[in-house]
Amino acid sequence: MCMGGPPAPPRQEENEPVLEVRVQLLGGGGAHNINDNADILSEILARLDGRSLAAAAGVCRLWAAVSRRDAVWEELCLRHVGPASGPAAAGHATRTVVAALGGYRRLYRLCLGPALDRLGRAGALAHAQARERLSLSLSLSLFSIDCYERLGGAGGGGAAGRQQPPSSLLFLCKPVDVS
Amino acid sequence: MDPAATASLSGELPLPSVQGAAASYCVDLSVDASVLPAVPPSVAEAEAARTGHEEEENAAIRLVHLLVTCANDIQAGDYAAATGNLAEARLALGTTVSTATGIGRVTSHFAAALGQRLSRASPSDSGAAPVAASSAEHTGELYRQFYEAGPFLKFAHFTANQAILEAFEGCDRVHVLDCAIMQGAQWPALIQSLSLRPGGPPALRITGIGPPPAADGSRDELNEVGVRLTEFARAVNVPFSFCGVRGDTIDPIQAWMFKLVPGEALAVNSICQLHRLLVDDVDPNSVAAFFPEPIHTVLCWITSMQPRVFTIFEQEADHNNPALVERFTNALFYYGALFDSMEAMSTHRRTNTTGGLGGEAYLQREIFDIVCGEGSGRVERHEPLNVWHGRLWRAGLAQTPLGPSAIRRAAGLLRSLCGAGYRVQERGDFLTLAWHDRPLFTASVWHAPPTNNVINRLFELLMGEPEAQPTEGEPEAQATEI
Repeated sequence: MCMGGPPAPPRQEENEPVLEVRVQLLGGGGAHNINDNADILSEILARLDGRSLAAAAGVCRLWAAVSRRDAVWEELCLRHVGPASGPAAAGHATRTVVAALGGYRRLYRLCLGPALDRLGRAGALAHAQARERLSLSLSLSLFSIDCYERLGGAGGGGAAGRQQPPSSLLFLCKPVDVS
Repeated sequence: MDPAATASLSGELPLPSVQGAAASYCVDLSVDASVLPAVPPSVAEAEAARTGHEEEENAAIRLVHLLVTCANDIQAGDYAAATGNLAEARLALGTTVSTATGIGRVTSHFAAALGQRLSRASPSDSGAAPVAASSAEHTGELYRQFYEAGPFLKFAHFTANQAILEAFEGCDRVHVLDCAIMQGAQWPALIQSLSLRPGGPPALRITGIGPPPAADGSRDELNEVGVRLTEFARAVNVPFSFCGVRGDTIDPIQAWMFKLVPGEALAVNSICQLHRLLVDDVDPNSVAAFFPEPIHTVLCWITSMQPRVFTIFEQEADHNNPALVERFTNALFYYGALFDSMEAMSTHRRTNTTGGLGGEAYLQREIFDIVCGEGSGRVERHEPLNVWHGRLWRAGLAQTPLGPSAIRRAAGLLRSLCGAGYRVQERGDFLTLAWHDRPLFTASVWHAPPTNNVINRLFELLMGEPEAQPTEGEPEAQATEI
């Protein structure tokens, strides 16, 4: 991840104050640090790819906290789903459901991330069409099964299998825990 | 040092040597020819590998031939010859053909099944140990392993859920009836899709048919499944209720047990259950001919409930022939392809396969049933899609055409679940999951046409049933590569 230069101002609501800030920053006079504003940091980290974002969690406590924000992972996930997922994909309802199922970070780790890796491995041709092929609804379906199996673990049943990580998604990735 | 001497001492080809200050390179070609191999190593190795491979193939072909001959002998009643052939086959399995992989793995199950059949026929033969009678819990566990080992059940659930979702569009109260709910793994995805439906989720009711609680009272699977589904639905805010209907088979069940509510949209879901209801052809002159076959009873009450959608998933195979040899041969090739695909998938995942393939035990049960079971003892009566098409049509059901995106979505699912090799074939309105052009399972969607179409229906019956869409091997089957 490239760390050159001061971060760009997030929103351009009014020209004057923004210009001021810009002048200040470009003037190089001042200790403006990327860590000064967690929201700006969040905006930046939200533009990373999955691996970098996971790595960012190890930089310092602030970065760890920000990179655990589900909103950051939500942006990452939505960036990778195909256009077929429709406008509903970014809606409030989806956010509620995903939160109930375990959050976007977990969704990426268990479903989208491995699927992207697999598409990447499949070769350049597949990668070019990767966006169309990655479906949010499919990922959510698989994610639902994962959540359901975890519910089973909390409930009854003394079978040894219940205490292991949900096995129906083991095929997607080796269970390396980054949480 | 003299390069030639070096060569004869060490057996290596001489390296270019620097001689004197001029640093001129020279390669001494006067090397003893006997130290060089007669043929370059890579060619010899390839030759050996190919012969070894051919030998393995021949051994496998011999083994299959032995087993089929054994089945033939059993069918003819010649148990002595059958025992001899089986013993020879077992010997081959122990030595020339490896049972850990490929054809050896699947044939070892068939050999064991033949062994069991022989041991029942002539008690003096100490055949393989019989498959242990199992509790519902054990069945459930095997089913779960099969679910994880291959994409088959996931494909079934996914395509069925898509069809149900489409059929429920615009309905506020919906009811799903699952002919065999098992661990309920199909339904979380549907519940989640309904919760994100534009316009909000409907009130969902699921009725699951499942086995009665274990005799020792330790676990009530059906109840547990109900609790988990309810909890899940609550988490995603879908109004939900669950009802369990207990029964080992579905034919004694009656429509009134489901407490249908008028105005509710109904979906019936059957994953690999319908074939269990088939029976051998009855003698038309016997008393049994007066009683309807279980499959007709069940299809009758399903049709009477007027489901908006009836999703069916069945094996695409002909394992219901009364003649053992036909069944045996068909099953051998079918399960061979199935095991092949599962092996490829476990290699693809790079999981540990020392304990045998996941799902192997589940399939072993099916194999034993097909080979050893006769009459009412056989439940795995798989039939190909054209037979099912005729049967369902005669029962009064009509097929729902697949949407244009069905095949694309199914292909997308297979792509994300597993590597190359699996294909989705669209034949008419049937969606078939195939392994390298060998069809394995077929999904189809049906509905009951409204009863006021009685005149049309009579007309259709008079004109004869429509042909099932392209039969096996027809070029019209469009396969989608993964």
